[in-house]
Amino acid sequence: MVLVCVALAGWVLAVWLLLRQPRVPTSPPDDYLKPVSPADLPVDPLPACAVVLDGLGAIVQVNEEAASQFGETVGAILRHPAARAALSAALRAPVPASPSGSSNRGDLPPVCSTTFTLDVPVPRTLHLMLRRLPGGKGQDRRVLVVLTDRSEAQAADRMRMDFVAHASHELRTPLASLSGFIDALQGAAGENPVMRHQFLDIMRQQSERLKRLIDRLLYLSRVQAHEHQRPRDVVDVADLMAVVLGEVAPRFEQEGRTLKLEIEDDLLVRADEDEMVQVLLNLIENALRYGAQEGDPLTITLSARRAASPDDRWPADGGVILGIEDNGCGMEAHHLPRLTERFYRVGAPTDGAGQGTGLGLSIVRHILDRHGGRLRIASAPGKGTTCLVWLPPAGATLAVSLVE
Amino acid sequence: MADRSHIVKSYEQELGQLRSMMAQMGGIVENQVALALSAIADRNEEAADAAARQDPEVDQLEREVESLAIRLLALRSPMAGDLREIVAALKITGDLERIGDYASSIARRSLRIRMPENQISLSGLRSMGRLVQENLRRSIDAITQQDSNRAMEVWHSDRAVDEYYTALFRELVTYMMEDARNIRACTELLFIAKNLERIGDHATNIAERVFYAVTGDNLPSLRPRGAPASALTVAETMQEPDVR
Repeated sequence: MVLVCVALAGWVLAVWLLLRQPRVPTSPPDDYLKPVSPADLPVDPLPACAVVLDGLGAIVQVNEEAASQFGETVGAILRHPAARAALSAALRAPVPASPSGSSNRGDLPPVCSTTFTLDVPVPRTLHLMLRRLPGGKGQDRRVLVVLTDRSEAQAADRMRMDFVAHASHELRTPLASLSGFIDALQGAAGENPVMRHQFLDIMRQQSERLKRLIDRLLYLSRVQAHEHQRPRDVVDVADLMAVVLGEVAPRFEQEGRTLKLEIEDDLLVRADEDEMVQVLLNLIENALRYGAQEGDPLTITLSARRAASPDDRWPADGGVILGIEDNGCGMEAHHLPRLTERFYRVGAPTDGAGQGTGLGLSIVRHILDRHGGRLRIASAPGKGTTCLVWLPPAGATLAVSLVE
Repeated sequence: MADRSHIVKSYEQELGQLRSMMAQMGGIVENQVALALSAIADRNEEAADAAARQDPEVDQLEREVESLAIRLLALRSPMAGDLREIVAALKITGDLERIGDYASSIARRSLRIRMPENQISLSGLRSMGRLVQENLRRSIDAITQQDSNRAMEVWHSDRAVDEYYTALFRELVTYMMEDARNIRACTELLFIAKNLERIGDHATNIAERVFYAVTGDNLPSLRPRGAPASALTVAETMQEPDVR
C-alpha cells in the first residue's frame, strides 16, 4: 500500500513537472550582445566589423571589432528599415548546400548590400553587406553582416556646408564693424588723434575676435572630422590633470581666485589626451569668464572620481566622472539644454560674454561624443555652476588597443 | 517528450517573432523621425514624403504585434517576466504608432512652411530633434535588450526635452513679436516643437513600460520635471559606452 502511494505520488509529481515545463520557458539572456560561445562561428578574428543575425534579425554574435567601432549603436543600425530589407533579401537566397561551406564558389549565396545614414549619437553613413550562412537544420537561417563606416566623405561635405553657414552668420559681424571703422577713419575721424586711437583699439579687439572665431571653428571641424573614430589610447587622469594645471595656473595668480583639486588615484580612461585637456580647459575657461562676479572671490573645484556603480543617472558600467564646479553667479535653468549649441551665448553679446566665441561647449560636446562620454551641467542663479563629465572606463577593449 | 520540446521551441519562436517585430517597428519609427527632422532642417521634400509614406506599414505592424501578443496570451499562458514583456509590448506598440504619427505630421507640416526672408534660426529645433532622437533610440534599445538601466536613463532625460520645448517656445514667440510676417512660419514651427515634445513623452512612456516589464516595479508616477532650476539637468545626451 505504501509502495503504491509512493508510486502514485511520484507519478503525480512527474506529470506536474511535465505540465509546468512549457509554461516557464527560459528567456534568452538579457545581455545578448556578449555571448561568443566556441560553437559559434569564429567571427572575432575577422579584420572587419562583423555581426551574425538569426532569421528574425536578432543578434547572435558581435565581433570585438564591431563592438569597439560601433558600441551599442549596433542595435539601432541593424533595425534600420534598409538593413531589415537587406536581411530579408539575403534570407530569400537559396540555402547553401553543405554545412561546412561550399567548395564551389559558384554555390555561395549572393551578397546583399545597402547604404544608409543614422543621425544619432553621431551622424554616420553605414554600408552593410549581408550573406546567408551555410549551416545544418535550425542553423541555416543565419546571416553574416559586415559593417563599414562611410562617414568620412559625408562628414567633409557637411562640414563645408556648416562652415559656409557660420561664415555668413557669425564672421560677418566683426567684419562689418571693422569695415565701418575703416570708413570712419578715412573720413573725419581720421584727423582726430583721440578718436583714431579709440577706433584702432576697437578694431584690434574685433580682429582678435575674428581670429579666435576662425581658430575655434577650425578646431571644431578637426574634432568633427574624426568624430566617428573612437579614441584608442589609455590615459591616466592624474597625467591629464597635471597638463591642465600647468596651463591654467597663471590664471589663478590673480587676487580672489582659488583652484581646488580633489582627485582620486589610479583612474584610467580610454581617451585622446589632447582633446580631453581641451575639454577641461574650455570648462575652466567658462567658469573663469562667466562665473566671476565683481568683488566676490571665485573658487573653482576640479575633481575626478570613480562613478559609483548604483547611480542610475550615468550608464551602469562604472567609468570616471570629472567635475568642474564654481561658486560664481550661475545661470537660469532655461539656458542649460541649449548651452552646447553652436554660437549659443548666455547674456547679451555686449557684456563680458561678448568675449567668448560661443563655440567652447560645442567643442566639448563633440569631443565627448567621440569618446562615448556624457556632459551634465547643473546651475542656478547665484548658486554657481557644476559641470560633470562622464567617461567610459578603459575596460575590456583595452586589451585590444594595447596589443596593437 | 519530443513533442513537448517542440511546444517549448515554438513558444520561444513566437516570443522571438514578437521581439523581432517590435525591433522592426522601432527601426521604422526612428527612421520616420529622422526623415521628418531632415525635412525641416534641410528643407528636404523627398524626406518629408518618405516619412509620411511609412505610416501604413507602422499601422500594419501594430496590428500584427497586437494579434501575436493576444495569441501568445491566449494559447501559451505566459508567466512572470514573459507575461509582463508581452503585455508591455501591447502597450509599447501603441506608443510607437503614435510616435510615427507625430513624425509624419511634422513631415507634412514642413512642406507647408514658407520661410520668411529674415532667416529664423532653426538650430534650436535641430538640437531638440537630436535630443528626442537620442531618447527614442535609447528607449528602443531598452525594448530590444530588455534593459532597465537604459530605460531609467531615458526617464531621467525627459526633463531636458521639456526644458528645450519651453526655451523654443520663448524663442519663437520673440520672432513673432519682432515681425508679424514671421507669424505663419513660427506657428508651424511651434506645432513641430510640440510634436517633438510629444514624441519625447512617448519615448519616456516606453521606458517606463520596459522598466516595469524587466523589474516588475513601477517607476514613480511623477516624472522628473523641468521646474526646479537648481536641479541637475542633462545638457546633452550622447553616445553610449562600448559594449563589452
